[in-house]
Amino acid sequence: MNLDINWNSLSNLAHKAIKVLEKKSITHAEAFFTCMQTTEVAIRNSEIHTQNRVDDSGVGFRVVVGGNKVGFACTNTLSEKAVLEAGEKAFDSARVSSEVPNFALPEKGQLPKVEGLFDSRVAEVGMKEGVDVAGRMIRAAQDFDRRVIAKDGRVLFVSGWRGIVNTLGVDFEEQETRAVIYLGGSGEQNGEVTPSCYDVMLCRTVDLEPEKVGENVGKMVVEMFKPQPLKSFEGTVVFGPEAVSYQLFNVLVDALKGENVVAGSSAWAGNLGQEVASEDLTVIDNAVLEKGFASRSFDDEGCSSQKTILLRKGKLESFLHDATSANALKMRNTGNASRFPSGFDMIRAIVGNGYRTKPEIYPSNLVIQSGTKTNEGLVSEIDKGVLVESMAGFSQPGSGVISAQLSRAFFIENGEIKYPIKGGMISGVAFDWLKRISGISRDTKQFMNVIVPSLRIEEAKLVGA
Amino acid sequence: MFENLEKCLQTRNASKADLVQLRGQKRVMTTCTVKNGVIEGSSNIFLSGVGVRVFVNGKSWGFSSTNTSDLESTEQALKNALELAKASAELKRQKTMLEPIREVTTDVSIPVKKSPRDFSTEEIVEIPLDAYKGAKEAGPKVADVKATYISIEDDKYFLSSEGSRIRQNITRLELFVNVMAKSNDLFCPASETLGHTGGLELFDETSSYSLGKTVAEKAVRLLDVRAPPSGKFRVVIHPTLCATLLHEAIGHPLEADLAMTGGGFGNRIGELVSSKLVTIYDDGHVPRGLGYFAYDDEGVECKRIALIKNGVLKSFMHDRTSAAVAGLSPTGNAHAWDYSVEPLIRQTNIGIEAGDCSLEEMIEDVKEGLFLEGTFGGQADVNADFTFGFQNARWIRHGRLGEELRGANVAGNAIEVFKTIDAVGEEAVLRPGACGKYQFAIQGRVVPAIRCEIMVGGMGGK
Repeated sequence: MNLDINWNSLSNLAHKAIKVLEKKSITHAEAFFTCMQTTEVAIRNSEIHTQNRVDDSGVGFRVVVGGNKVGFACTNTLSEKAVLEAGEKAFDSARVSSEVPNFALPEKGQLPKVEGLFDSRVAEVGMKEGVDVAGRMIRAAQDFDRRVIAKDGRVLFVSGWRGIVNTLGVDFEEQETRAVIYLGGSGEQNGEVTPSCYDVMLCRTVDLEPEKVGENVGKMVVEMFKPQPLKSFEGTVVFGPEAVSYQLFNVLVDALKGENVVAGSSAWAGNLGQEVASEDLTVIDNAVLEKGFASRSFDDEGCSSQKTILLRKGKLESFLHDATSANALKMRNTGNASRFPSGFDMIRAIVGNGYRTKPEIYPSNLVIQSGTKTNEGLVSEIDKGVLVESMAGFSQPGSGVISAQLSRAFFIENGEIKYPIKGGMISGVAFDWLKRISGISRDTKQFMNVIVPSLRIEEAKLVGA
Repeated sequence: MFENLEKCLQTRNASKADLVQLRGQKRVMTTCTVKNGVIEGSSNIFLSGVGVRVFVNGKSWGFSSTNTSDLESTEQALKNALELAKASAELKRQKTMLEPIREVTTDVSIPVKKSPRDFSTEEIVEIPLDAYKGAKEAGPKVADVKATYISIEDDKYFLSSEGSRIRQNITRLELFVNVMAKSNDLFCPASETLGHTGGLELFDETSSYSLGKTVAEKAVRLLDVRAPPSGKFRVVIHPTLCATLLHEAIGHPLEADLAMTGGGFGNRIGELVSSKLVTIYDDGHVPRGLGYFAYDDEGVECKRIALIKNGVLKSFMHDRTSAAVAGLSPTGNAHAWDYSVEPLIRQTNIGIEAGDCSLEEMIEDVKEGLFLEGTFGGQADVNADFTFGFQNARWIRHGRLGEELRGANVAGNAIEVFKTIDAVGEEAVLRPGACGKYQFAIQGRVVPAIRCEIMVGGMGGK
């Protein structure tokens, strides 16, 4: 197969470049290389919009000189000349850098066996199958209710290789596949358009359930008809998994990143061993989860993967580390160097991810441990509150301030969901919310780098028109 | 590498499609980040590749891209694109009659006064380093400073089976400064971006040192002020924030592909959709704008398009497909972030025409309200609901600027908010912007200050 031939030649070039660099006056060198084949079907307005196939492979070098001066360069031109030049360019740029305090690269470790990362059926999937899955998803949404428009959606099959080699003996390769279906729908009733409602399914195999995703989106859209405005009040809020996976997740990650602890910009910098959240909250980073969407046997700088308990019953047990932050704080590297973080960063958005960037700290599968309550149970105990399935708006880095627009939210009174909400906002400090958790659902949902339940929080501030 | 594209266009496979568009691209990017005074090394990114797009059976598009640009790989990408296009052609109900476009052979290089190529890495590193030094001037409460310089040099070649051959060379430059101020357990972020199409003359007007200093002074100042209130307010919106409002809340619903999903501005051409004071356009030819393009990625010439004139909806932004569906001419808004992705309907440099109010006059008429400044980005939905963050605010009381306040988010429905605009500032400024609609893009915005009513989600009181 073409992909495997490309991979072998890319791997050979990367190894060769490292050998060439080793002969120079360097401290360390590293090559990270990937070869990915993506087949994608895009849905717009309940129709197949386009089909894409993207082949991308390349190699990025980090070269360390004179102690801890680090340079980076990458290329996707896979000739020997271009790859060696990129290594050379990384060397040149290292020489004009300043010392990065505590910079470190991982040494060779024993890799865990992580099952279920590759499914040959994904690698062999044809164009027609993608179109078929997309069609089934659209039909399921529309069959649920004719007012539903499958506004935009994607079917994605990714197959490829990821490899890393450094001058400390790290030399690993891993083959992986991913399949994603995603659908956003909205509906119009009496001239009023519902907010967009999304569902997603991510896995490592071809076992996708487009009918289920389509039907879910249909259901969500219909639930949003006849919304009513919200009056400002303070009350109980249930954040559904989608809301948790976005804004609350960002606040958590920001506080847990080792580099932010080193810089002093993490809100939890001095809180290791202390209670920082409700005792109901246990948060784990699990890179070795079988079939996990973000599982891997080594991180993107070559540290072997592990399972790390970050918060145990509200108590802060560990931060997320790469080799450098672990070295700076004299803590154990948790294997969280990532070149595929899914949060937004302007520079990464411009240059791209993977081989095109240096790694940064990011969770693998961040798991918030599920609780005991059913979703109905969480709602039935609320006198007056709001169920926030999704909201729009960013959390403020550092402070944990969230002020977001409610996009898919419902008013709760006397233990029952009364009606969908139109145009309200919620504001507060997420760190305070995490201390006021009064219930966690037993169902969880997987998103890119998170597996999360619903969280119920007391005393949240809701802003009405 | 571009010579293979011409050969590929002559192959038998190419003749199987109604239309073939090839886009070859070489992109060189240099970034340099200085974090808390540490030069984290400049990164050199060398990318090249080919994107192949085909239109078949009068119905459907297929797209394929590859980073290996020899003839064999390009031909394979063409085969993939054909296969993909055919796979869905049978599912499409209607044919799309693409309007033929004028055949063009041209070579456009956008002028650069100080090319990044004429500067050594040592000199480039000084730019973010100076921003850091400026930021440190704001005192010991400056806890975290990150300054990143980036240059993007594109050499693009577009070929189509209709005969066009368009070469474009574009250099773009940006500097991002993010500062976090800290006092006890309180954090206050502030950020600002400089960016244009051109070279290092970007820093002739505003030095990176002064940019760093301004941003850091703001972050430190905000430590000692209160949070903004919540509720609906009459607000004066500074151009820095107006740029986000325009792009997110009005720009997106005016993109034909999003407009056609219903809601927002769909089917309302000729109707009054906004305050009569508002005239909005998109213009690929704004000098120095980050969305400066002579031609789009379907080979259509970019021009100035009136979108809303005196409050009346005039046009959407189109690519060739949406224009064909609407029975109109394309507007030059089909842009792809790079060779690896297909063109989409994007804004280039969207703008609001300046009005006749000075900032003082806009504030003078407000009994109780807020002056909102700076942006933390935002998002908008198809129904024109939007939310975005501002960095700082001031109370306006009895026509005067009062107490300074921290940032929060504002939200609302764009169409409703734009109906409440009752003053437009007399000076429109060019701002850098970015957009993440399906794929990334950097764009320009040309915006004055505006006055309107908006919902603020702050945590403070009155």
